[in-house]
Amino acid sequence: MPELTISRRGLLAGSALLLASTALPTIGFAQTPKKGGRLVLAADSEPRNLNPAIVASNGVFFISSKIVETLAEASFDGKDGLQPRLALSWEGAADGLSVTFKLRDGIKWHDGMPFTSADVAFSALQIWKPLQNLGRTVFKDLAAVDTPDELTAIFKFAKPTPFQLIRNALPALSSVVPKHLYEVGKIEENPANNAPVGTGPFKFAEYKAGQYYRLTRNDAYWGKDEPYLDEIVYQVLPDRTSAAAALEAEEIQLAAFSAVPLADLDRISKVPGLKVITKGYEGLTYQLVVEINHRRKELADLKVRQAIAHAIDKDFVVKTVFLGYAATATGPVPKNDPQFYTAEVPTYPFDVAKANALLDEAGYKRADDGKRFALKLLPAPYFNETKQFGDYLRQALAAIGIDAQIVNNDSAAHIKAVYTDHAFDLAVGPPVFRGDPAISTTILVQSGIPDGVPFSNQGGYKNADLDALIVKASETLDTSARTGLYKEFQKKVATDLPLINVAEWSFISVARDTVGNIANNPRWAVSNWADTYLES
Amino acid sequence: MKRLPHLFRSPEAIAGALILALLAAMALAAPLLFPGDPQAIAGPALLPPFQDWSLPLGTDRLGRDVLAELFHGARTSLAVGLAAAAAALLIGALVGTLAGFAGGLVDEVLMRITDAFQTVPSFLLALAFVSIVGPSLGVVVAAIALSAWTGPARVARAEVLSIRERDYVAGARVIGMHPLEIAFREVLPNALPPVLALSSVIVAAAILTEAALSFLGLGDPNRVTWGGMIAEGRTVLRTAPFLSIVPGVALVLTVLGVYLAGEGVVESTAMRRSLS
Repeated sequence: MPELTISRRGLLAGSALLLASTALPTIGFAQTPKKGGRLVLAADSEPRNLNPAIVASNGVFFISSKIVETLAEASFDGKDGLQPRLALSWEGAADGLSVTFKLRDGIKWHDGMPFTSADVAFSALQIWKPLQNLGRTVFKDLAAVDTPDELTAIFKFAKPTPFQLIRNALPALSSVVPKHLYEVGKIEENPANNAPVGTGPFKFAEYKAGQYYRLTRNDAYWGKDEPYLDEIVYQVLPDRTSAAAALEAEEIQLAAFSAVPLADLDRISKVPGLKVITKGYEGLTYQLVVEINHRRKELADLKVRQAIAHAIDKDFVVKTVFLGYAATATGPVPKNDPQFYTAEVPTYPFDVAKANALLDEAGYKRADDGKRFALKLLPAPYFNETKQFGDYLRQALAAIGIDAQIVNNDSAAHIKAVYTDHAFDLAVGPPVFRGDPAISTTILVQSGIPDGVPFSNQGGYKNADLDALIVKASETLDTSARTGLYKEFQKKVATDLPLINVAEWSFISVARDTVGNIANNPRWAVSNWADTYLES
Repeated sequence: MKRLPHLFRSPEAIAGALILALLAAMALAAPLLFPGDPQAIAGPALLPPFQDWSLPLGTDRLGRDVLAELFHGARTSLAVGLAAAAAALLIGALVGTLAGFAGGLVDEVLMRITDAFQTVPSFLLALAFVSIVGPSLGVVVAAIALSAWTGPARVARAEVLSIRERDYVAGARVIGMHPLEIAFREVLPNALPPVLALSSVIVAAAILTEAALSFLGLGDPNRVTWGGMIAEGRTVLRTAPFLSIVPGVALVLTVLGVYLAGEGVVESTAMRRSLS
């Protein structure tokens, strides 16, 4: 036995020395990305339509943003928070009627055809404006796109459109797809929707349902030396608990979008070789919101809504439901937004006594059993956290004498119940803030939205003042005046509580420490990963 | 009176009866020991068991008392198990007696319906029923009964088929009793014992089905159920395994208790029959 111990020790010492020697030369160039390698990561959903120009959602971007590029990408330090991609520059006219894009020269589609301004014009007019879930609002007044030469695209608007809005919409809404593939036949049924062709650093290689998506390196990519990776493989792991196990077993090197449950992060951060990264999602803020059906007479009373706001302990929610990986909210714009956020809004500190007093004042006295009235509460099923907050909200409401009965639905049934049938009193929803209130935030409180539009005001709330303010802001061209109007908007929403903003959260990535250049832009998980690399 | 000593002759039956008695006591004592809402937040979140003696089994992800949830969960589990089994036995006995006693076309139709229900996997049937009608305690009971009545129906029919040829049934016919009266007053009571012997299996299956439905998020969300507790604990299985283990053990013990006690009853009745 002693021989064995000695030999084992010798072996260890030898291999440690060997390891150290390989580490030595790399210390000087710690930031130099290495070329090659295959990045395997967890994917928790399998979108069928992978065309980001039609379906602008994070689930689609997660995969297709590596294949299909946008005009510009979000950036931590770029001007106006942007960095160039397909477009090199963008300029808005003073009258708000046109925006000129100068495009990058020498870009080729994955099939070898040249990328030109005609592709941009086609994508904008035929896809973003008529078909895209978010583009329908932002580009509604887009009348034409002029292409004086192959590298210039001039967007012409029928009505003045704020340049700030167009700029803020570029990272998520401006995916450009090839005209030559999409001009024949129906766009929605084009085979390229399932096997996208783009200009990005990676080409779509194959998709095996229930197993994986595989992307391969685009050797003709415009970025110098980029991309660094040879392949990206998205391993489909729908069960959230399996992502953590797969990371520990080194089957995958990255789990983005909080594929590892929050409760596991503390444990997994101590596993050698794994790192927990909270950066890289600043541009994808989710908001935890209590949606209110104003058709219920009790909830139409401002005092009742104020009472509910006072009954929610936001710090408890952040600490317990989100385990600290979130921030409390004050209004409809998240605190981490650099352009629009204002803290000067009415706040509703946690105060059960005050909430009870407000309900008494409103005339809803406790009955003999201690209850004032009953409500139907529908927590959105998309996230563990929205469901858990539903359980918490039920308890918080019980403390002020409101008997909330939880109704659980699957995703499709929840969307139908809340946004089409209005069969709810309170709902818990996770709307997304996309860098500008006009993209997907104002529709949460604006009146006159047809039934069935998901993530919009379906609670029957109607406030002429607020509607007028939203319209005025959408027509204001001056950036600071427009920002001012949205600050006013936040104040009005926090005062009248058409909905209650509770918390703001984003996602967490867990990666092996061999993965480099992670989280280097505010939309990292849905950006193109041209500079991501693997140390061996 | 004679049945009890027989029952206690086998140690398994004693164990089963003790577990069941304990469960019943838990269910009955729940509102006394843990008054108020068992889902109320009682302390810090994810407190491990045996740390704080006011919360002996710790707390879940929202800080709810696991012991209180366990006790109130026993209520739900037992209530659903007993109600579903009672409903399944009732439907099964009625259908079986009608089919067996009437014979002919009625028998054919009722038995083909039974076949139809038996060909669909019972859990799938319950799952489909609950997801269409919407989860609440009554619906869950109905869904489980819907998928469990076929066994008792077949047993009752077989039993009725042999009983209806007995002399006393012929006698009842002769004195002019209404056929339905004969079926339910003379035949059914005598056909019941073997049907009731199925009850332990059905109760155990019903408790498990309820737990499985809750685990899949199809239980009543406004009540504590063991299946729901396991489902909630699953997301933190690696960091707080007790959240799944505690209700899981309770579930295993309950099903075991019901089964053992049921076996004991069946054995003792069989013994009594062979003695007599």
